[in-house]
Amino acid sequence: MTPLTRLRAILQRRRVARELDDELRFHVEMETQANLTRGLSPAEARRQAMASFGGTVQTSEAVRDVRAVPFESLWHDMRYAARTLGASPGFTLTAAGMLALGIGITSAMFTIVDALVLRPVPFSDAEQLAHLWMGTDRGGRTLVSPAVVDAWREIGVFEGVESATSRTVLVESGSVVVERALANVTPGVFDMLGGAQPVRGRLFDAGEGSPGQTDRVLIAESLWRSLYGADDGLIGRSIAVDDEQLTVVGILPDAFRFPSSETALWRPTHLRSDGELARAYVRFRADVTRDDAVRVATGAAQAADAANADLRIWIYPLVSGNDDYLEQAVPLLAGGVVLAFVVLCANVCGLLLARLTARRREFGMRAALGAGRGRLMRQAFVENALLGAMGVGLGVGLAWLLVAGARGILPQPLLTQTLNALDLDPRALVVTSLAGLAATLGAGLLPAWLGTRVDPNTSLQVVDRGATEARGVVAVSRGLLVVEVALACTLLVGATLLARSFVNLTRADRGIDTENVMTLWLNIRDAASDDTARTLLMQSLEGEFREIPDVREVAWSYGLPPGGGIISFGDWTSDRPGASPVYMEIDRYMISPEFFSLYRIPLIRGRAFTPSDPGTNVIVSERLAETLWGSVSPLGRTFRFEEETFLVVGLTGDIRYPSIDADLDRPEFYHAYTPEGTPMVSLRCGAVCPDSATIRHRLAATHPDVAVQDAGPADRRYAAELARPRAAAGLAAAFAIVALTAAAGGLFSVLSYTVGRRRREFGIRAAMGASPAQIQRQVFRLGLAVTVVGLAAGSLLAMLLTRSLATLQYGVTTSDPASLGIVVGIIAVTTLAAVWRPARLAARVDPMLLLRED
Amino acid sequence: MPKTEYLQGALAMLILQTLQLGPNHGWGIRERIRQVSRETLGVSQGSLYPALHRLEAEGLLSSRMAPSENNRNARIYTLTAAGRNRLLSETNDWREFSLAIQRVLAGG
Repeated sequence: MTPLTRLRAILQRRRVARELDDELRFHVEMETQANLTRGLSPAEARRQAMASFGGTVQTSEAVRDVRAVPFESLWHDMRYAARTLGASPGFTLTAAGMLALGIGITSAMFTIVDALVLRPVPFSDAEQLAHLWMGTDRGGRTLVSPAVVDAWREIGVFEGVESATSRTVLVESGSVVVERALANVTPGVFDMLGGAQPVRGRLFDAGEGSPGQTDRVLIAESLWRSLYGADDGLIGRSIAVDDEQLTVVGILPDAFRFPSSETALWRPTHLRSDGELARAYVRFRADVTRDDAVRVATGAAQAADAANADLRIWIYPLVSGNDDYLEQAVPLLAGGVVLAFVVLCANVCGLLLARLTARRREFGMRAALGAGRGRLMRQAFVENALLGAMGVGLGVGLAWLLVAGARGILPQPLLTQTLNALDLDPRALVVTSLAGLAATLGAGLLPAWLGTRVDPNTSLQVVDRGATEARGVVAVSRGLLVVEVALACTLLVGATLLARSFVNLTRADRGIDTENVMTLWLNIRDAASDDTARTLLMQSLEGEFREIPDVREVAWSYGLPPGGGIISFGDWTSDRPGASPVYMEIDRYMISPEFFSLYRIPLIRGRAFTPSDPGTNVIVSERLAETLWGSVSPLGRTFRFEEETFLVVGLTGDIRYPSIDADLDRPEFYHAYTPEGTPMVSLRCGAVCPDSATIRHRLAATHPDVAVQDAGPADRRYAAELARPRAAAGLAAAFAIVALTAAAGGLFSVLSYTVGRRRREFGIRAAMGASPAQIQRQVFRLGLAVTVVGLAAGSLLAMLLTRSLATLQYGVTTSDPASLGIVVGIIAVTTLAAVWRPARLAARVDPMLLLRED
Repeated sequence: MPKTEYLQGALAMLILQTLQLGPNHGWGIRERIRQVSRETLGVSQGSLYPALHRLEAEGLLSSRMAPSENNRNARIYTLTAAGRNRLLSETNDWREFSLAIQRVLAGG
C-alpha cells in the first residue's frame, strides 16, 4: 500500500467508507438491470441480484481489510464485534448479564466478608487493642471499677487504658426527637485508638470530662447532617441531649465507629461520678509480652478492687470478632458465592461454546475468503473482550448497588459486628472482573481457534452439511453443564438446610408470648433510700404507665427472658433424701405478680407471688423441677444453692430460647420483685404500643428523675437471634437461585442450539416415521443425562459441605432426607422446564420445510 | 492455501487484462470476464472487490468516482503503467505455465 493511500485511508475513513458503499450498491443496481433485461420480474430481479452478491457486509469487510492500516483495523474490529454482538442481542445480554451477576455478587459479598471478618478494625496497630474485663473461667462482668482503670494506668504494661460505655439518649432539635447511642469516653480514647480525625472542630482536651467540664459532646457526621443540616456553625453551640444542654466541640466522620458501629455521640468522662463503672479498653505495649502484661494487670486489678480477688482477666481483642456464628457463617456464605460465580462463568463458557458451530461456519468462510488465522484470532479476541467488558461494566454497577443496599438487605446484628465502614472493595472487583474476563476470553477464543484450524475447503463442506460439531467441544460443553448442575445442587442443599433451620427457629415454642409487648428500663437518678418510698415511686410510675392509651397490663422485673435474667451456675441440691448436687446453669428472674399473665406463661401449680413473699420463696419452671425432684410435685419442697435455701411456692411452664447456640437455653426460676436498682417495665398493649418518645415525655413531666432507656418491642432478643439465621438462609437461597437459574438457562440454551443444529436429522427421522414423542424423548434423554450426573456429583459435594454447616443448624440433621428430597425435586422440575421447549421444537420439525430450505 | 493464492493470482490477471481494453467499473469487469470466457468463469463479488482494491493499493490500478449511466456514483478503474507491465509479465508466465501443462498432457 502506498503511503499516500494509507494516509488517505486514515484521513478520509468516512469518505472511503461511503464510496465503498456506493460502489457495491452500484453493483447490485447493475445486476438488477441485467436481470430485468433477461426478462425477470422487478422483484425477482432484485432478489437474485442480492443473492448473487452474497453478504454485502462480508464483501465490504474484505475490502476494508485490504485497505486497512493496523490502527484502523483495530477500530474496525471493535465495530465489527459490536455489530456481531448486536446481531444476537439475546445471547449478548444473557452472557454479559451472567458475567455481571457473577462479578457483582461476588465483589459485594467479598466486601461484606472483608468488613465483617477479614479486615482488622480501622485503628492503627489494631492488634494491640483489646477490651479487658475480670471474671471466672465461665465469664463475668464486662465492666470494672474506676480504681482498676487507675491501677492499670500506673503499672506501665499498657500504652494506654481508657474507658467507653454506651447508652441510648434522646437528641432533640426543634420539634424532632431521635434516639441515638451515646458513649461516655475518657478523653484519651481517641489518641489511644489512633486515626481519629474530626471533620469539623476538635477532639476532647485532656481536662474535659473532669467535674464541671462534662457538658461537651462530639457528634457523628451522619447525625450532624440529618439533624442539623450540616451546619458549620454548630461547633460551639449547645444541643439538647436527654434534657441536658451539651456543647458540640467537634464532628467525627462516619467511618469512626467506636465503641459500636451505632455510636453517634461521645461525651467526656473522668470516671469520677458516683457508682460509675468503666468499660476498659487498653493498648498493649509492643515491648511487653502479653503474658507478662496480663500477670501484672491481674495483680493490680485484685489489689485495686477486692471484688476481683478470685477473678482472672478476660481479653477481647478488637481485631477478631469473638463471634462463632459470624466466623463460621460468613466464610461459608463466601464459599457459596464463589460456587455461584463458578457456575455463572461456566455458563458464559457454555453459551459461547454453544455458538461454536455458527461461529465455525463464519470463521471458515472468512478463512476461505483469505483472512489469516492471526487476523481471525484477533477479531475473536476483540469480540470477547468487548463482551467481557460489558459484563465487567454491568458487574461493577451491580456490585456498587448491592454494597450500597447492603444496609437494607443485611440485618442490623450482622452489620453492627463491624467497626469498619462498608465500602466496595476494589481488589475484589479487580479479581472477579479478571476471572470473568478470562472465562469469556477462554471460551470465546476456542471457537476461533477451532474454526481457523480447519482449512477452508473442509470447513465449507462442514458448513454445507450443516450438522456435526467437534466432539471435544460437545464433551466440554456437556462437562460444563454437569459442573453447573452439581454446584447448583450443592448450593441448594446448603440453602435448604439453612432455610429449614430458620423456619424451625421461628416456629420453635418459646413458652412466652411477646406479641404486642414492649419493654423499657428505668434509670432512677436519686433513688430513695427506704423501701416504702421506693414502693410508692413504683406505684406512682405504674399508675402513669396505665394511663397511657392502649396499655393493658404492666409488669416489673429485672431483665426478661430469653437470657435476660441473672445467670447462676454451680451445684444445686434438692431436699430429696440422699440427693446429690447437680451442676446447672440457671436463669433467675425477679418479677412482679402480673408478669406471668402478661407474658402468658402458664402457672401450672401453686400460686403467684404475694407482697409478703421473702426473697427465698421461688416459683420454678417444669424443667428445673423435673431435674431436682423428678415426677414428684415440687410445691413446698426446698433446694440449696451455695449458702441459700429456696422454698418452692409455684410451678410454671418452661421458657425456651430457640437458638443455634443450645447453651443459651437454660432452665429458670423466679423471685418476687422488690423495687430497687434499675428495673425493667413490660407493657402489654392493645393494638399498638406507644413509642419511646411518648413515654419519655409523659414521665419527664411527672417524674423528672426517672430516665427511660432502651425502649422497644419485647421480642427484640428473639428477633436478633433470628436475624442472622434469616440472613444466612436468605443469602444462601439467593446464591442457590442464581446458580440454579444459570444452570437451567445453560441447559436450555445448549439444548436449544443442539436441536437447532440437528433439525435436519430430526426432520429426516420424522420423514422416516419417527413419532414426535420419540424425537422429544431423545432430547429429554440428553437433558436427563446431564442432570443425573450433575445431581450425583452435587449430592456428594453437598454431603461434604453439610458437615461444616452442622454448627449453623437448628432442628435439622446434617443428612436431612427431607432437605435432599426438596433439592432433587426442585432440580428435577427446573431441568424439565429447561428441556421442555427445545424438546417440543425438535418434535415439531417439518421435514418438508427442511427440504425446501436446501 | 496454495489453491486460493493461485486463483487470486489468476483473478488479478483477468482483471488487468479486462481493463487493458479500457476503464471500467466492477460490475462491468465481472460481466466482461463472464462473456469473454463464454460463461465458464464467474467471479464472486466477495473476491472481485477485495482484489480490485488490493490491485489499486499495489498501484497497478487507479480509480475515481464518477456518475454512471444510471446516475449512480460508480468507481471506475483504470490500468496504470505499472499495471500494464505486470499484465505483460503475468501473461508471459501464464503462457509458459499452460504450455508446459499442455505438453505434459499431450505427452501422456
